[in-house]
This record gives sequence, structure tokens and C-alpha cells, in this order.
Amino acid sequence: MIRTPLRPLARILDARAKGENPDAIERENTRLRHEEMRDKARARAEGRLLVLGVMFFCAYAVIGARMGLMASSEPMEPRARASAAEIVMQRADIVDRKGRVLATNFETHSLYAQPPQMIEPKRVAKELVRIFPDLDEERLVKDFTGKRKFLWIKKKISPEQKQAVHDIGDPGLLFGPREMRLYPNGRLASHVLGGASFGKEGVDAAEVIGVAGVEKVFDDFLRDPAEGGMPLQLSLDLTVQAAAERVLYGGMKLMNAKGAASVLMDVHTGEVISVVSLPDFDPNDRPRPPTEGAPDDSPLFNRAVQGVYELGSTFKIFTAAQAMELGLVNPSTVINTKGPLRWGKHKIRDFHNYGPELSVTKIIVKSSNIGTARLAQMIGAKRQQDFLARLGLMEKAPLEIVEASGSTPLLPPSWSEISAMTISYGHGISVSPMHLAAAYAAIANGGTRVKPTLLKRDAPQYGERVMSAQVAAASREMLRKVVTEGTASFAEVPGYAVGGKTGSADKPKPRGGYYDDKVIATFASMFPAHDPKYVLVVTLDEPETFALGEVRRTAGWTAVPVAAEMTNRLAPLLGLRPQVEPGQLAGITLTSN
Amino acid sequence: MSYLEQTVKYVPTGPRKVFYLNWPIALLLSAVAAIGFLMLYSVAGGSYSPWAEPQMKRFALGFALMVGLAMVPIYFWRNVALLAYLGSLGLLVLVALIGDVGMGAQRWINLGFMRLQPSELMKITLVMLLAAYYDWLPVSKVSHPLWVLLPLGIILVPTALVLEQPDLGTSILLVLGGGAVMFIAGVHWLYFAAVIAAGAGLVTAVFQSRGTDWQLLNDYQYRRIDTFLDPSAEPLGAGYHITQSKIALGSGGWTGRGFMQGTQSRLNFLPEKHTDFIFTTLAEEFGFIGAISLLGLYALIIVFCVMTALSNPNRFAALLTLGIATTFFLFFAVNMSMVMGLIPVVGVPLPLVSYGGSAMIVLMAAFGLVQSAHVHKPR
Repeated sequence: MIRTPLRPLARILDARAKGENPDAIERENTRLRHEEMRDKARARAEGRLLVLGVMFFCAYAVIGARMGLMASSEPMEPRARASAAEIVMQRADIVDRKGRVLATNFETHSLYAQPPQMIEPKRVAKELVRIFPDLDEERLVKDFTGKRKFLWIKKKISPEQKQAVHDIGDPGLLFGPREMRLYPNGRLASHVLGGASFGKEGVDAAEVIGVAGVEKVFDDFLRDPAEGGMPLQLSLDLTVQAAAERVLYGGMKLMNAKGAASVLMDVHTGEVISVVSLPDFDPNDRPRPPTEGAPDDSPLFNRAVQGVYELGSTFKIFTAAQAMELGLVNPSTVINTKGPLRWGKHKIRDFHNYGPELSVTKIIVKSSNIGTARLAQMIGAKRQQDFLARLGLMEKAPLEIVEASGSTPLLPPSWSEISAMTISYGHGISVSPMHLAAAYAAIANGGTRVKPTLLKRDAPQYGERVMSAQVAAASREMLRKVVTEGTASFAEVPGYAVGGKTGSADKPKPRGGYYDDKVIATFASMFPAHDPKYVLVVTLDEPETFALGEVRRTAGWTAVPVAAEMTNRLAPLLGLRPQVEPGQLAGITLTSN
Repeated sequence: MSYLEQTVKYVPTGPRKVFYLNWPIALLLSAVAAIGFLMLYSVAGGSYSPWAEPQMKRFALGFALMVGLAMVPIYFWRNVALLAYLGSLGLLVLVALIGDVGMGAQRWINLGFMRLQPSELMKITLVMLLAAYYDWLPVSKVSHPLWVLLPLGIILVPTALVLEQPDLGTSILLVLGGGAVMFIAGVHWLYFAAVIAAGAGLVTAVFQSRGTDWQLLNDYQYRRIDTFLDPSAEPLGAGYHITQSKIALGSGGWTGRGFMQGTQSRLNFLPEKHTDFIFTTLAEEFGFIGAISLLGLYALIIVFCVMTALSNPNRFAALLTLGIATTFFLFFAVNMSMVMGLIPVVGVPLPLVSYGGSAMIVLMAAFGLVQSAHVHKPR
């Protein structure tokens, strides 16, 4: 319709002239215009509605088709079983150097409840308490009758317990397969293995994750399916480890010590054959970290690695070796040992008065603090620092257990000359027995640095040279003399020429100063001394024994006999034959019966 | 357009209004709700508690509310549309400030006797305001950019608030529902094309932003999308719902296992079996036939709504009815698609069937508005 405007005035006049009412026409036009707009809007709305309708229809069709498709599909079995693969249950075994199992997995079950399905909650609670006496009956009844729909009752149950629970016969009690980490040797090598616990937990599976020791460090490796379940082979020897733990435990009890540690290391490869820290724990039931008491008295504390102690006179051999390496002295150079040695307000004394002068060899054999301090004065602080660093005594032990991060040595804040003098005989520096073993291994293997490891090595691992082979040999000779004519005479084990150095350091008080009656007694040794294969470090914490009419705490009376017994027992297990020391007259004893 | 412009034949008044209710819609709603009662009775293991009984009470309350609202003249609803919208917007702000936190999201206001979910209310009041807006706006201005921007703001402000809660499902429903009203009102289609293009861009941006510092969604939302794209990737985690509901649907087959015979749902394999995932119980127990029948009932409700809207000369009434019908459609379409794994899991209940107070009452109120539009239609 064509709308004819009435304005201008001429048209109104025109209309009036014709006798029509212009307002009526105007109204009519407006009405028509509105109607047209409304029709258009309605037409558009209907079009839009059609589009929407088509979309609705499509949605319906898709949903309907999907529904039909799903309805006609074979019902899928619950995929929970297959889906449990999501939680990787495989965890590789850990074996010793000869392939004997140290850690493996064990199929077990967890027990959980779905209270809504439970028929007789009261009876179930009662029966459960009969099977598991540690459960609380009241609490169970409360849980079963409350609003909870799911609860764990036991994370690990034995097959016998499972059968007993089965016999209760309640549909609200359910089992889920669990893979459990099992340490078949119990406490053996507990500090190395660490322990494992459950990570992600589902009804059908639970992830086993390492929480300490090698289990934690190699967690990714052990859980990696790409490794195909290849076991992790450690350098430990199960037999040796077991014997070492036994003997050290006996020694610790005999010497009334509150703790003990030992490290047995292959001097050529750095492999740790056995490492013991007592008291220990059972990794199958790893205790919680203690909330009270000194953390380093906890069974979880690894004294051999985390325990950094002032190891005393065992350090003297490093001083002597460095002095020889620098060409300052030779084994027979005579050093002034008149005491006490004054340095500023400090006085250095010897345990006994060894006379006005001693040769370097004698200094080591008699363990003279004054003589060693004199050597340190000749060497100087800077060079001493370098040498100890090259022996690996200034950094964390690079061992493959998480606890190794706690083995940072304690060093003097400023390495002054007096520090150098005390450090020369092992005071003012704290390292772990593991550090000491590695440093002694460097002397034992002919002068190259040794990095301790818990992984099996196939070939010798020689690090950088720390001292010449001659100096190492001379040092070994001194260490041998310590045993044959010095402070470690109890270390003599027939057939296995032992060389070593004792060290007895007063324990520091927590608030400064030292105790008079508490020592750390250490014996660092190597055998056979003429061609060392192994280094053995034994440390006793607060030993005390009564001998020859007085209380004895020094290493010579405590750590040394224990170490000797260990050598005696371990050397044959290590495959060493008793040998006659070269350079000695072989006395043949005939036995006849 | 006012009543003056229409040739008013007859508008029922007084108690007679009851006879003019849209009874087919009321009956269909009751039928759907009855299916809901059956399902809730079944998932509770053949028991009226804890779900079926409260649901019945709520439906009775909702039905009374629907009839009550239907008695109020439709022009009243047009006049209070803005007020209602602002009111629910205020509640949304309030819930953001003091709301109860439930299942990781802040959605409810505790009124003491019930927990109110303002986002549910917003779904209806948004449609109301948009309908009133397009009723007020001269048709010639509908596609003018300025007059398009305004309703866009009306939609996006509450959407942003709901997204903040965070509730992705409801915010999507708000945008789609509001957009549908705008579409029916006749906004030029180019705007919609532009919005769809922008939406595609946004989706790309959302995926691109993942893991960067300007990440646009929560990690759990990304996980849901991942799970949607590959449910088997995490069958015990976020994919659990979908996997289990697929099993339920598959095991239902064509005729179902029979009432109370469902295993997947009754044996507690499915969490949320009484709320968002109740459809799986239906599909398992009554099979394809049962599921498609429910779909048919829903479709009939929509058809009746469209019929009354088309015959209604009042633009507000028509737009309101269509908007509510669309929202209703979106509800069940999104829920069913989600359950069947067609779209990612977003928390949207199955209207009238899922257990839940807020949603049921609000939906019945919305149908009260539809009834009011129908009752006050000039005949």
C-alpha cells in the first residue's frame, strides 16, 4: 500500500474541499501502517520461530539418535577393572648386588564399607572388632549408621583376615585389591630402602610411592612402566649387610652405646657394600617421625649419612698425607711436639705427654694433637681447605638416598689458622661416617677420589687424583702401624692385615662447650692394608665400657674391638682369603690332631 | 501495543480464570514430575525417603504457585519485569558476597527453610525483562546497534556473576536463553553470526590460554572439557560420570531392565544419581522407550507453549512464553546431551525430574507466567 501523506496543507484543504475528514484518513493510515509493521514483525517472528524450531528438532534428532545408538549397543562391562591401570600398580623390585630381593610387591586386599548397603551394622562392627582388635566398635557403629556412604576400614589385610571378614557375610563390606610393598628381610638395610606408602587410592587400586631412602630417590624409575619392571640393583650385599647389622648391634650393646653406624665400601668403585645405622626400624611398618626428643635419636635417623659428627683423630692421616704430598715432610721427619701448644688464648694438648718430639709416623701412631697441629701450621688454612674439598669432605655425600641431602658437613664459619690446626686433628669440622669412608677409600685405592654410591658398578670408578700413589702408600703404612703398634691394637685380625685410625671426639653440648663424659668413638680402617679392597668405618655414639679398672670411652677400647669383630666376620663373606702380610716372615703353624 | 489497539473479544476475569488455564501443559508437567518421583523412589532403593517424598511436596507447592501466578494479570508481570530482574541481580551479588559454599562453588543463599539459588531465579527474570524490553521497543528499532547493546548488557552482567561462582552450566543457559529471546524478537541475524564467530574465537582463546598466567577457566573446567573429549582418559576421575552413565544407558537397551531393576544407578556406581544424572536411571530401567517417552513429553510441553504463544497477540506474553519454553528446552537438552556424552559435563539438572528444590520451584513459577500469558490471552 502506498501511503499518501496529507501534509502539506494543500492536500488537507483539498480533502476538506471534497468533504472528507482528514483526521479520519490520518488515523486510518496510521492503523494500516501499524498493522503492516505488526504483520511484518509477526512474519519475521514466525520465520525466526521456524529456524528455532528446526534447531530444536535437530537437537531432538541428535539426542534421540544418540539414545538409540546407546540403547542398541551391547552393554559395556564396567571398565573399572581395566581403568585401574590408570593407577600404576607395578613397582619394580629392589635387589642386592647378587640379585637377591630386598623389596618386592605383595598382593593383598583393602577393606572398605558402604554403609547404605549394610544390613546389620551393629553385628558387623562387633565381628570386625573381633577380627581387628585395634578397631573401635563404637566408632564403627557410628560410622555405619551415620550418613557416610563410603569408608575405609583397613588399608591392608591378610588373606586369613579377608576370609574372616568374608564370613561375616554382609554386603556392605567390600574388598579392593591392593599391591603392597614388602621388605622380606624386615629391618635389613632399612635406612637405605626407606619405605613406601600409598599415594593415590582408588577402590580398585592404589599407587605405591616411595617415601624415603632409595625408594624415594628412584621412585620414578621404579614406577616407570617403560622400564619393564626391571629391578633396581643396589651395591649392597644382603649377606654382608645382615652380618654387619648383627655384629654392630652386639657391639653397640656391649659398649653401652646409644647408637652406632658403620659403612663398608669398596675402595675402587665407591660401592657401599653395607651401611648400618642403629637403632633401625622395619620399613614394612615405617614409624612416624618422632614429635618429641632429639630427631637424631630417632630410629629413622640415618647416623651413617645424616649424622655429621666431629670424627676426631681419624682426620690426622689427611693432615699427614697432605704434608707429605706437599713435600713438607716425609714419614720420618721429626716434629716438635712439646706441649701444650699455645696459639693466642687457645692451648692444644695431647692425651698423654709423648715427649718433646716425634716423627710424622709416630705422630699418627700415637695420635698426637700437637704434632698434627704443627703440620697444619706448615700446610696453612687455604691449602688444607682445598685438600679436604678434593677428598669430598666439604660437600653433601652424593649418595642415592633422600637422606643424603641432610649430610652437609658443618664447617667453621671462617677458616682461620686456629681452625686449621683443630681441623687437622678432626675438631671443628663435622662430617658423616659416609664422608669419612669415601676419604679413606681415596687413601686406600692409591690416591684417587671416591664417590660413594649405592648402585652396583661393574668397573672401578677412579676420580681425580688427590694424592700421589707414593703418598697414599706411605699413609697406608702409617695406618697399618697404628694397628700394629699404636692406639688401635685391638684391631688386629689374623689373616687380614688391618690398617686404620682411631678417633674419639667429645660430643658438643647443645649450648656450646663439650661434654667430658660423652664421646663419638670412630675407627676408620681398611683391609688388607698392603692392598686394600675395602674401607670399614665404625662409629659408636656415647660408648662406655669398663676395662682394666677404669671407665673407657676412647675409640681404642670401644670402636676398635667392634670393628675388629666386624672385619673378622665380614672379610670371609666378602670372599677375601686370609693372607700373610708381605714383608713379614711367614711363620707356618702345623696343626695336627 | 496496548489492549486498546486490539479488538478485545474476551479476557477472562475472576475465578473463571481457572477454567482458562492451559490444562494440557499442567498435565504434561505433572506427568514429567511423576516420572521424576518414580525415579527418585527407585534410586533410593524403593523408598520415599530421602528424595521422593520431599520432591512430591515441592511439586505440590510448585503447582500451587503456578496456579497462583497464573491468576495475576499478564500486564502486571510486564510491569514488574525490570524490578524482578534487578532483584535477582541483587541476590546474585549478595550470593557472591555472603553465599554458602557448596561443592566448590558459591551458589546458594540460606534462607533458613530453604537454600535459594539466585542463578535459577535469574534464568526466568532475564527472560521476563527481555520480553518486556522488546514489547516496549518499537519494532523498527529492534536491530539498531544501540538497542542491541542494551539487552546484551542485560544478559551479560548476570552471566558474568554466575560464571564467577563458578557455574559454567547456568551461565551458558543464561546466554543461550537470552539470545533465543533476542532472536525471536527479530534482531538482525548478522548479529548472531557475529556472536557465533566471536564465540568460536573465545573457545580458541580459552584453549590457548591454558597453562599460561592469563588462564581463562578453572583447572577443573579444563579437566571436564578434556574428559569430554576423551572420557576414557580418566575413567575413575572426572570421566567417571560419563563412563558410568554410558554403561547404564547401554545396559538399559531398548526396553530397559524394569522398574527398580537398575544396577548401575542403584548400586551406587553413579554419584549424583538423584540429581544431574537421574536420566541414566530412567534409561537403564525403562530403556530407549522410556527415555524417548520422556523426551516426547518434554517436546509436547514445548509444542503447547509455542501454540499458545503464536495465538497470543500480546507481544510480551508471546515472547515470555517462547523464552521460557526455550529455556526449558535448553535445560533438558543440555542435561541429556551431557549425560549421553554429547557435550561436556556442566551442572544442569533434568527439569522437574532431578531432585532439587530451587530448580523445581523456579521452573513451576516460570510455567505460572506461561499460564498467566495463556489465561489473559484475549479470546
